[in-house]
Amino acid sequence: MSARLPHGYPFRFVDVVLRERDAAFTSGTVSARVTSNGRAAMGEGWASPLLLVEALAQSALLLEGGDADIGRRGFLAGIEGFEAERAPRAGETLRIEVRLAGRFGAIVRFEGEVYGDRARLARGAIIVRRGEGSPTTPG
Amino acid sequence: MTNREDQSRRVKELIVRRLKLDVDPLSIENAAPLFGEGLGLDSIDALELVLGLEQEFGIKVEDEEVGVKAFASVDALVDFIEQKQNA
Repeated sequence: MSARLPHGYPFRFVDVVLRERDAAFTSGTVSARVTSNGRAAMGEGWASPLLLVEALAQSALLLEGGDADIGRRGFLAGIEGFEAERAPRAGETLRIEVRLAGRFGAIVRFEGEVYGDRARLARGAIIVRRGEGSPTTPG
Repeated sequence: MTNREDQSRRVKELIVRRLKLDVDPLSIENAAPLFGEGLGLDSIDALELVLGLEQEFGIKVEDEEVGVKAFASVDALVDFIEQKQNA
């Protein structure tokens, strides 16, 4: 995972790719385990639902299949229509569904949802400015 | 209203609606540049227009080079749509 994602502890909010994207990036799925000793945790869970946006962005980057350098040179450029029900709690395993909504040059839009153990925690879209590099194209 | 005038009106409405611009669609000049000067759109706006064209006109913008030409002005965008619809 480190080869594909520049983020490390304590600012990595994804753990395992559950389902790789398909060729058209219709969707892909990532999981994240919420621990009580993570930097983002404040005792019982993530300090802010906004970290769900970061989890979505990291999932998108991971599923894009690029290399860590692309992520290092890129950045989150926008958030659209993001709605969060609550912050995740320690002990919860999150399932993050991401799909590619569109791209124009280096600007890419992803949409997705984050699910907790029982229900959807958040949904919305993010816009990412890809860094330069030589991405691989899985699938 | 000619077909081209109708397309121009639809394009202007698309731009204003998708980009949530606080301008009257009819105030956008057909030949005025959309990016930089003119409406002052940026690359994130361009992606929104790409999605808008796909959803509302059923037209895909294959690559950035094509898009940059198509998004030069309302006139250029109408030309691009007509070319795609007649292909």
